[in-house]
Parts: sequence; structure tokens; C-alpha cells
Amino acid sequence: MTHLHATRLGALSTLAATALLTAISGAQAQSLPPLPDSIKSAGLLKAGVRCDQPPYGYKDETGKFAGVETDMAIQIATWAFGSADKIELTCVTAENRIPQLNGKKVDLLIATLGVTPERARVVDFSKPYRWGGSDMLVAKDSPIKKLDDVAGKIVIMLKGSTQAKWFEDTMPKVDNLRLNTASDALQSLKQGRGDAYTHDAATLIVIAAKDPSLRLVGEPFAISDAAVGVRKNEAAWLAYVDAALDRMKAEGLYAKWIEKWIPADIRPFYSDAFVKPKPTAR
Amino acid sequence: MEFDLAYLAAQWPALMRGLWLTIQVSALSIVLSIAMGLCGAAIRVLQVPVLDKVVVGYVEFIRNTPLLAQLFFIFYGLPGLGLKLSLFWSGVLSLTLWAGAYQIENIRGGLETVGKGLREAAFSLGLSPWRFFRLVAAPMAIRVGLPSMLNTSISLLKNSSYLQAIGLAELTFVAIDRISMDFRTIEMFAAICVIYLALVLTLSFFASRLEYRLNTPFRT
Repeated sequence: MTHLHATRLGALSTLAATALLTAISGAQAQSLPPLPDSIKSAGLLKAGVRCDQPPYGYKDETGKFAGVETDMAIQIATWAFGSADKIELTCVTAENRIPQLNGKKVDLLIATLGVTPERARVVDFSKPYRWGGSDMLVAKDSPIKKLDDVAGKIVIMLKGSTQAKWFEDTMPKVDNLRLNTASDALQSLKQGRGDAYTHDAATLIVIAAKDPSLRLVGEPFAISDAAVGVRKNEAAWLAYVDAALDRMKAEGLYAKWIEKWIPADIRPFYSDAFVKPKPTAR
Repeated sequence: MEFDLAYLAAQWPALMRGLWLTIQVSALSIVLSIAMGLCGAAIRVLQVPVLDKVVVGYVEFIRNTPLLAQLFFIFYGLPGLGLKLSLFWSGVLSLTLWAGAYQIENIRGGLETVGKGLREAAFSLGLSPWRFFRLVAAPMAIRVGLPSMLNTSISLLKNSSYLQAIGLAELTFVAIDRISMDFRTIEMFAAICVIYLALVLTLSFFASRLEYRLNTPFRT
């Protein structure tokens, strides 16, 4: 009991200190709604981020969480609990992220989560913070030049990904190999277990830029919004997250993070995704 | 979210295709691993020079490393050494190598019960070591080792679910893949648990029938 009490006092004083600091620095901080008790009582933010999706969420050479979406999560923790340390980051994958959220292992997902009607049935989405399209990665000398060329070929994709759903609905005849992580998929493509690897364009651009033996097909498809995922019926928490996203935009934080995590030569693509309106495609 | 039987009915054909692949991979691996167990145990008991040390090392290696690591090594590692197996054969190879190590020990355990006197009697009757193994030791060893061989076979059957990690569309793969699309977690996991249970009970049933038959000479 005393321990609990002390923690709460500690949290309160950090909160007060942050408030004071903000006041002194004179930043015109947009006010965030009150943090709901269900989140506050944990004393830290339990966030699910990706570990294999540079530049959004990944682990750097030293095994530390990195990327734009990781920084978004840390920023929310900072606003909510007054310290960038008040966060517990969990690695989530395309196939386990929603079960992790609904199983209360994490309280929000900033994990390259595209907005789809199927997912909206089981989680609530914040307002979108960027859009993302899909592309395909193939061997440099591959005969695949456009989307329709994959007929009769094997396409590697991740279980539960937007692309898996898109292929199932749009090109159900295409043979596929469904794996669990982006690194498995890339490995399999390079070993010739499939002819193309489809995923979010944002992820593939980074890989293609680093690996001269691969190239992008370059025909965008399955464009969708990415949003933060929270459990259903947590309206106050959703409102808090929405307000936090607004504040990130207003304070120009995305530009800062894009500069921090993304090499200059491929930066424009990502700036567009966060700032420009969504283009149209298949 | 309530339990949706209609959803399960819609997914049933996909589950059955997964089940069929699980059965194929497991049955093949069980047969191959028992064959491996017989060879390995014979080498150990007959103390074939050099080879028996290899078998000891192999058993220790397999038993002391995780199956998933072995599977990834076979699927992603071997192509680097020039051996690219298909999804199916990568699965069969990894399950066989894994269960083979245990089967060697199971059958060797059975062979230990074949007394020294019996061996000497066989040799003095002019049986070669190989014929002694085939006609005397192996049938007795299998009878004794059958319950633990069944255990290993059941573990193999259940461990075939690891093959979802390399994208082989067996039973667990189908469930996880559908869950990641439709989020019907309870329906799918409940369904595959029941299917696995039925599968293992069937396997146990046939094994106990076999045990009964092998025990014929001892029944009164």
C-alpha cells in the first residue's frame, strides 16, 4: 500500500515538474485531455511497435528500439507520464499485433497498422497519421515489371499483412508463401523461394536502397491509411491518442523524426506519406 | 465476441487441407525417424567403431538445441551451403532429425533389456551380430521401447506445428493465417486443439493395438 502510494506521489511530482518546465520554456503546448485512469494506473505506457520495419519501427545495431513510430510512442509516454523512460516497448508482428493489443499485453499499437474494415471490427483506430502503399521487391534481373506479371509466380508476403488480404481479394490465383517476419521474407526472396516479395512500399524502399541485387517493381497498389490502434470501447484513451497525434503534427515533430531516422536520398517518399494527401491506385 | 460456428464452418475446408498436410508430414517423419532410431541404436549397441561416437554426438546435439533453431537452420541455413529443400522436405527433414535422436535413445533403452546371456547364446548358436540384432534384439527392444517411441511420435506430431514458421500450410499455419486476417482467435484455436487431440488419440489407439499384438506371446 505504501509502495503504491509512493509511486503515485512520484508520478505526480514528475507531472508537476513537466508542467513547470513546459511553462518556463514557453512552448505553446496544445493541451491534451486528461489521461484515463486505466492507462494512468499502469504508471507507464505499454506500446506495441514493429521490430523489423525500418524506418518506422525496428531495432538498431545495438538491439535498441528505433524508428519514427518508436519515437511517436516514446513521445506519447513523455506527454502522458512526464518521462521518456516511462515506456515499455513490445515487439509486435503483423500477425500477432492485434491479439497482443486485445490481450492487454500492450495499450496501443503504433506498428505500421493499416486501416481496414476487418481490423476496425476488432480494434478502434485513431485518426490516420500517414498513408502507406504497397510495392513488390524482385531480383534485379527478374522478368516481373508490373503487378500483373506475378500471375503464375510465387509471391512472398507476411501473414496478416495488408498485402495478403489484397492478393486474396484481388488476385486470388497468385501462389503465395506466407511468413512471419520481414527478415524471413527477404531471406526467402534472396534464396529464390519466391519470385517477388510484397510489403509496404516504405519498408521495401529501404531494403532496395541498400541491396543492389534487388529492385522495386514500382507499381503502387493497396494504398491505405496507417493509424494508431487501441482496444474497442476505450473512448477516453482514443481521444488522448488523437490529441497527441494532433500535437505531434502541430509541433512539427514528424519532420524532425524523419530527418533523424531516414537517409536523405530516400527521405522525400516518407515526408510525402506524413504530410501530403493520399494518392489513388488499385 | 461470441463463438461463431458459421465462421468455423466456412473455414473448415481450409482447416482440412491443413490437417492433411500435417498428417503427411508427420506420418512420413515418424516412419523415417523410427528407421533412423533402429539404425542409430544398432550402431550404439553393436559398438560399431567411429560411427557409435558419431551417433552419441548427434543425439546430444539434437537434444540440446531447440527444434525451431534446427528448423531455421535447415530452411534458411542449408541453402547457403548449396542445399535448397522445398518447404515440405525441409519440414520432413527437421522433424525426422529431431525425433530420430529420441528414437535412437528409446530403442537403445529397449536393447539394454536384452540380456548378455541371450546375446552369448545367440553368438554360440552361430548368429552373426547383424542377424542377432534383426531376429532377437530388435523385436524385443521394440516391444519394450514402444511406449516411449509412441511418446516421441506424439511429440513429433504436435511439433509439426512449428512448421508454420517457415510457411508450410499445415494445420497451425491455417489457424494463425486466418486469425491474422479475421481475428477469430477463439474459434480457430479451439478448432485446431480439438483436431490435434483427435489426431493424437487416434495415433495412441493404433499404438496400443500394436502393443497388444507384440505382447501376444506373454498373454495367458
